[in-house]
This record gives sequence, structure tokens and C-alpha cells, in this order.
Amino acid sequence: MEIKERAVPHGTILDVVGDLTYANRAAFKAAVDNVKQTGCRHLIVNMEQVRFVDSAGLGLLVLVSQNFKQLQAQVSILKPQSYVREIMSLANIPKMIPIYESEEDALIARAA
Amino acid sequence: MNSNALHHIGKAADLSAWREASIATILLVDDEPVTRAGMAARLTRLGYRVLEAENGREGLEVARRERPDLLIVDWVMPEMDGPTFCEAMRRDPLLKSSHILLMTAHDQPAQIAEGLARGADDFLSKAASKQEVTARVLAGLRTSRLVRELETTGSQLESSMRLLQTRQAEMETDLQSAANFVHSMLPAQGSLAQGISLAWEYQPALTLGGDLFGVAPIDAEHLGLYILDASGHGVAAALRSATLMTFLRVDNMLQLIGSYDPEKVLFEANRRFPLSDEGDYFTLWVGQLHVPTRSLSYASAGHHGVLLNPAEKPSRWLTRPSSPLGFNPASVFACDQLTLQPADRLFLLSDGIYEASSPTGEPWGRWRFQQAVETQKRSPLSATISHCFTEARRWQEQCEFLDDAAVVGLELAV
Repeated sequence: MEIKERAVPHGTILDVVGDLTYANRAAFKAAVDNVKQTGCRHLIVNMEQVRFVDSAGLGLLVLVSQNFKQLQAQVSILKPQSYVREIMSLANIPKMIPIYESEEDALIARAA
Repeated sequence: MNSNALHHIGKAADLSAWREASIATILLVDDEPVTRAGMAARLTRLGYRVLEAENGREGLEVARRERPDLLIVDWVMPEMDGPTFCEAMRRDPLLKSSHILLMTAHDQPAQIAEGLARGADDFLSKAASKQEVTARVLAGLRTSRLVRELETTGSQLESSMRLLQTRQAEMETDLQSAANFVHSMLPAQGSLAQGISLAWEYQPALTLGGDLFGVAPIDAEHLGLYILDASGHGVAAALRSATLMTFLRVDNMLQLIGSYDPEKVLFEANRRFPLSDEGDYFTLWVGQLHVPTRSLSYASAGHHGVLLNPAEKPSRWLTRPSSPLGFNPASVFACDQLTLQPADRLFLLSDGIYEASSPTGEPWGRWRFQQAVETQKRSPLSATISHCFTEARRWQEQCEFLDDAAVVGLELAV
């Protein structure tokens, strides 16, 4: 898994490439911790290049979202692939973490 | 002169020799008493502890007993000459790493080559000056010390390795006994009650699995059934699962909430098993079957691996979007109901089976599982489950699963 960090107005995007799974959880947590330390108010996880998320990956997304909420910050998910979207929908993730189809939508929604 | 005569340290010749002498023992093996005594006196003056042997056989005995740091051996000796002595030393497991200087009056390249080939480490001319003897002995002792340090380190490594192996074996025994305990809590296969049979297959990713299931009578007319799936796998997941499994025991539920109603069980479990600090959680599917009417009520907390496989209709998944345990403390879990028909089958499975990935990373998927059971409707229940495992293994092109894989099947009699 590869994760690249990008700054955007009022937030940070993590471009994730690869699978978000039990085996990769440490790398994802480290990337999120880095962002958190900058005082970021809006973390956008770009999942366009993520082919698979397992149960451990889902748990991490929810945990990160809960942690950001405690800091009055927000996590959003960007452009998940259809299989990943289905897995997330079955686990009610969209009720906890907003999912957007474009960076602009994510940034506008947060600003609003 | 008798062998093994011991000459103690005299006045140190110089500081470095004194340093060597503080620990160094040298064995001289030479049949000529005069030469041997001369060399012994010289080495003693340099501050070494000197042992003497008058032939090769005695030399080997002293070497085995005293483990000298360096041996100086004459080439020409009756019975056992110097090179033969070197060969005997190299054959002996206790002595083979000893450092040997072969003493000779000759310095022909062919002779030197033969001496090295037969086990000598270096040569010392009988005509060597005091300075040369000192230098060669010091060099030999440095090498000898390095070899001994390596041997000690190797031996420490070996003993650490043995200790680690012992600890690992103990841990594996503990894990196996924990796995046996968990296994003993899984339901017995065969006839459950009044025309309902049970079969299952379970392959944990490690000795101890984190995905567990249960089927047990609630009262004379009801069966409770569940499958739980811990996120992640390994020992930590298995321990958390065993805790949830204990929580889900029928007697515990009756005591806590007064029933085994699926939505109430899930509500209580959601309250008591929050998302861990590491993001660990459970998915859980709970069902309650009224045996006389074959009425099944069920609810799911993020678990999507339950398939109804009716005898005469296409199969369908018994699930709807729902949050896993701990995702949302306020979650309410909806309960669904249906009536099973004779010869219907119900499969409860963990995601380890349908998320088994091909070498290119494509999951086997729930629909392939569904296809596999559809094609096996006429086979015995246990054979159908085995077929699913065979197909999943074929898909992932390996026998072992990366995550816990469980398939539980219930079948109603015709």
C-alpha cells in the first residue's frame, strides 16, 4: 500500500493506493497520525485506487472518524470503487463517514 | 624432562606481552629436551604460562586437558610428526579450532604448503630471533582469542536459539490447549433436534481462531444460533472472540435480557463490546428458530455471511445494511422473520471463506459461494460444505486461509 499526503484548502487528502487491510493497518495509522499532528480539521481519504478493504480496514476508518470527531474535526471518503462501496454500505459506513465523488464536493460540504 | 612441567610467569618482557601473559597459556610439543627448554625459557620470560609435552600423543592429552591458547609444535618428531599432530588436532571436535604454530628448520615453499594443508596455522623458524618469536606468538594469540570469542558468541547464540525454541514450543502448546478449549465450545455436529441437522467446517488462520459460532437449545421449542467474526485475526482476536462467545451463552442471555431475541442480543452486545482503541470490533449475526413452526427470526450487526438455500427456490442472503458491534453506541438492530421449509438449508459463514483471494487479488466472493452451494443441493450437507472449502482453496491456489474460514450449515429434514 502507498499513501501520499496532499494539502488542500482547509484540509488534507490522503491518496491511498493498494488494499486497506489488516496487513497494512500500521502504515495507514501512521499516515493518519501524521495528518492529525498538523491539526488538520478535515481529512479526506481518497480511495479511488483502493481495490479491497477488509474488516480490519473498515474498523480503522471508523476509529479514525471517531477520533477526529472528538477533536471537532471530520473525516470524509472520496470515490470508493464499487466493491469497496458495497462493503462500506453493508456496514452502514456512509451513515458515519460522508462519501463524496469529487474533491470539490468534499471541500464544499465541509465548508458549508 | 617429564611432560607437563609448568613454568610460571617470570618478569614481563614488555607491557603487551604482560597483557597476553595474564591469560595466555602456550603448549610446546617437541621431543628435543634442549630445544624445548630453550623455547620454554624464552616464552616464560615473555610472561606466558608454558606447558610442555615431549611427543605428539602427550601433546594431544595435555591439549585436551588444558585447552591452551596457542600450540608450538616441532615438525620432526618420532612416532607422530608435527603435520600428523596437526591433523589429529583438527579431527578432534574439542581441539579443532586451536591455533598451531609449526616449528621447522626448513622454509621451503613446498614444505610450508604441506604444513598448512595438514592443519598448521603458521610457521616458526627454529632460528627465529627473539623479536620474531614474540611477534608470531602475539599474532597467534590474537587470532586464537578472536576464534574463541567467535566460538563463545556462537555458543551463546545457539543457547539463545534453544531457549527461544523451548519458549516457542511452550507457547504453541498453550495456544493448542486454548484452541482445544474453544473447539470444545463449538456445537456438536449431527442431529440437533426434531429433524434439524448440523454440519460445519472451520479452518482458523492460526492455531487459535477469532471467528466462532454456536447453536444451542434455548428451551424445549427454540434453538439459538449465531456466528461472530472478529476483525483482524490471531491470538488477540481469538481472545476477544472467546469473551464474546461466553457472553452469548444462552444461560447468560436469559439472565441478562430474559430472552434470546436477536435484536435484544445485538443491542446488549453492541453496548458491551465497543470499538477497541486499535479499531477492533465484531460482526455478529444472531438467529432464533422456533422448531415446531420452523419460524426463524434473525438480526445482524454488520455480518453479511448468512445464506438461505431453500430446497425449491433460489438461495438468498439474510442480511441488510447494519453497523457492526461498537461502530455506533446508539445502533438499533432490526429483526426479520421467515418460515423455513422442509429440506431448506441455512449457511452461516465467516468472511475468511468468501474473501479468499486469487493470486491476482480478486476475492472469491459471496456469489461464488452461493453458486457452489446451489450446485450441491443434492449432496449431503457436510459434502456441500467441504465442496465450498475445496472451491475456495482452488480459487486462492493454496490450502491455508489468510483469515479464519468457517462455514456452518443447518438442514431441515424433508
